Amino acid sequence: MEKADLKAIVKDWRLHAVVLIIVCVTEAIGQFAFKVGPGVILLLPMVYAFIIGLALFFTPLVSDKMAKNAEPLIVLGVTLLIAKIGVSIGPQIEALIEAGPALLLQELGNLGTIFFALPLAVLLGFKRESIGMTHSIGREPNVGLIVNKFGFGSAEARGVMAVYIFGTVFGAVFLGLIAGLLATTTPLHPLSFAMASGVGSGSMMAAASGSLIVAYPEMEDQIVAFAGASNLLSLGTGLFFSIFIGLPLTEKLYSLMMNRKVRKLKGGNPNA
Amino acid sequence: MLKHLTEWTLVLGIFGIAAALGNWLGYDVLPWVAIPGLIILIMISVAGLILEKLIPGNIPAVGYIGVIGILVSLPFVPGSDFIVEWTSKVSILALATPILAYAGISIGSNWADFRKLGIRSIIVAIMVLFGTFIGSALIAEVILRWQGII
Repeated sequence: MEKADLKAIVKDWRLHAVVLIIVCVTEAIGQFAFKVGPGVILLLPMVYAFIIGLALFFTPLVSDKMAKNAEPLIVLGVTLLIAKIGVSIGPQIEALIEAGPALLLQELGNLGTIFFALPLAVLLGFKRESIGMTHSIGREPNVGLIVNKFGFGSAEARGVMAVYIFGTVFGAVFLGLIAGLLATTTPLHPLSFAMASGVGSGSMMAAASGSLIVAYPEMEDQIVAFAGASNLLSLGTGLFFSIFIGLPLTEKLYSLMMNRKVRKLKGGNPNA
Repeated sequence: MLKHLTEWTLVLGIFGIAAALGNWLGYDVLPWVAIPGLIILIMISVAGLILEKLIPGNIPAVGYIGVIGILVSLPFVPGSDFIVEWTSKVSILALATPILAYAGISIGSNWADFRKLGIRSIIVAIMVLFGTFIGSALIAEVILRWQGII
């Protein structure tokens, strides 16, 4: 946001006009819910807005310059989202303090990433890339940490960049879809999913909690406050969590798995 | 500083217009009902952006903005009733739609990187997002139940 060209971006009226039209069209279409087995997948205007925006990039309507101009705007747009979350947290402060222990400890849930995804990455044949890929959800602070520790050209950095790119392109849409589906198919409480929506990325949080709000409209205020508080907590603590717990644990598990794999290849214990 | 201030306000104003229209078409809130809330949100954002510039250290603007938003909406803070009442007219979904529209447009330029990823990377990345989400939800469920909140 430091750059002086923000002024030029403000004047890029074609970009703003395209966005305004996308917003009007997608909000006018409204939400759709369709059943998948016992669950519901919710399609929200923000999901179509993202897909239409992406599709328009490949048409003459959107130039490379406009796409470049859009980038710094997202950072400013997210501040409005955070402001809205802030004013939703205030009135719920008592409920949030009461739920404080759960909010703090569910950060440990990010370790779920390591236990789910690391074995899969190793199974798929990734080597040290898998450490970068699975030590965290791979947002900006985590990319910084891995590049800082292993160097930009390292296998670990390639891994974290892969997750970063996927998360940037499809993270919000993906979390929006699975949040609705999981909240309607599993017996877990909507507030647990609201807390889980705060993964440390504003757009992912908005998409995931947005789906929950549509599925449970009567709990809107609580969902926004819990998701928002959890997201602010993740933003504040996520990096330290990765440094002191996530990354060491991933490296330890990785070397355990690799030793086992090597033993297996040597024919030590075929049942291991 | 003044230059930044006008630029921020202009950009946030553009988002505000988009959100007001989306809020109207999608959530049936007339624009003039939503505008006071949008102005409050823009003021909170701008205040946070100013603090980021003024206060030394590495705290990003969103940190200040979150804290200001919480403070001005606490039940015992004078005037918070109005702030909560006005901002409640602005749907969080209506704020997210323009952001994702800009994101979709800008991500087109990352498309080449994305295509290089390969299916194996995509499978792992999906499991990373899924693992974090379900892991956090499971722990939250256990503790909220144990506390008797749900």
